[in-house]
Amino acid sequence: MTQSYEVFLGCAIPSRFNNYESSMRAVAKELGIELIDFEGASCCGTVVLKSIDEDSWLSMSGRNIALAEQRGHDIVTPCNGCFGSLKDTDHVLHDDESYRKKVNAALKPLGLEYTGKVKIRHFVEVLYDMKDEIEKKITKRLDGLKVAFHPGCHLIRPSNVAEFDDPELPGKVDELIELTGAKSVHWDMKLRCCGSPLLITSEDVATKILQEKMISANGAGANCVVTNCPACHTQFDIQQLGLKDDEGNSLELPALFVTQVLGLAMGIDPEPLGFELNRVSLDPINDILGL
Amino acid sequence: MTESWGQFKSFEGKKFKALDAEFTNEVSKLIGGQDLTTCFQCAKCSAGCPVSDKVNIQIHEVMRMLLFGLKEVLETDMIWLCTTCYTCQERCPQGIDITDILFGLKNMAFKKGITPAGYVGARQSLYDTGRLYEPTEWERDDLELDPVPELNTADTQKMLNKTKLMKLEESE
Repeated sequence: MTQSYEVFLGCAIPSRFNNYESSMRAVAKELGIELIDFEGASCCGTVVLKSIDEDSWLSMSGRNIALAEQRGHDIVTPCNGCFGSLKDTDHVLHDDESYRKKVNAALKPLGLEYTGKVKIRHFVEVLYDMKDEIEKKITKRLDGLKVAFHPGCHLIRPSNVAEFDDPELPGKVDELIELTGAKSVHWDMKLRCCGSPLLITSEDVATKILQEKMISANGAGANCVVTNCPACHTQFDIQQLGLKDDEGNSLELPALFVTQVLGLAMGIDPEPLGFELNRVSLDPINDILGL
Repeated sequence: MTESWGQFKSFEGKKFKALDAEFTNEVSKLIGGQDLTTCFQCAKCSAGCPVSDKVNIQIHEVMRMLLFGLKEVLETDMIWLCTTCYTCQERCPQGIDITDILFGLKNMAFKKGITPAGYVGARQSLYDTGRLYEPTEWERDDLELDPVPELNTADTQKMLNKTKLMKLEESE
């Protein structure tokens, strides 16, 4: 059965993490998931706009959902931020008639309407449904890769909106990672926010949070961090560069996207997986990755 | 202590005006505000909050200020240092949508001009381009990715004019 979705990229991926899009497309192709370009997509709405003005956020986000609805497609996104924003909007518009009316009044001049028919999914959700197919396609084992997997917040919380995994003990993406022979290590700070939303308010506080996360990941014996979100990845693959603890010891660990890990293990050519765009050096795990 | 944000640093020596029940009502009507008044101050929200040790006023204190009708809450650092991780909301034994309430408080603070500068810039790009960031073309070329689908900003601006995004500030 071929699955087909409009793929919602958001702003951060085309700007900073084109290797995430490219590796997602490579994995989707291998699994026969059809990704249709999302014509006319704007910013998802984002927590940034929700913080400024909720009516504007619901309109911006609602327009994206209504576009997919008009074309009769479901939505998939590889970004936790977009996933959270679109799901949250869907939740509010579904439950609250007054907001639904307000947003539909704003959408009417554009010839659009939200009725709530569209399913919004994260790319890892789709992958989890295809766990058995992925397992059959693993041709290159990544034994020795010790992953500090960071699920990120909006993939799992609030759980009544995200509807994906256990909010206190998530394990679905870890299961996917472990199909490759890699080990998803237990680390105390796993569920803690990466701090990325605070980069706009206080880089100091955002960095302090990242430092706490990385002390935990290093202490747990991980040799890399894996994420499924470009906002989180901004912390782990940009802000992490040169990060040290208070004694001056390096806290740097290579940061990979879950699609890069799965793609490599599925025998996909490394080039479209975009490893040359990873910023924190992959040298410590190059042998394991076979790059 | 890392460098913080916000003007309201401590309750020490602070004198508050009469409690404003109308403010508590107003907050209860925000998205997620319906159960606000059931807070019994267990502070589980603050126990799981990633910035509890980095702010002057913690999230359970914000909740108390809301019940007391203290508008000064909009000046606390907790409002804009919330990471939006939803841990407090997920764990609240009273089912209060704490993180969602904070979004509404940010909206109120923004209208009063109490906001980090980055948000003012972000609003401008969201209005002008419909996006927060622009694609990096050389990376896309290298990876042979197709161009990002085009957006007609007249469409998004039409909506954002209606919601008055660029005219949110209250005149004093």
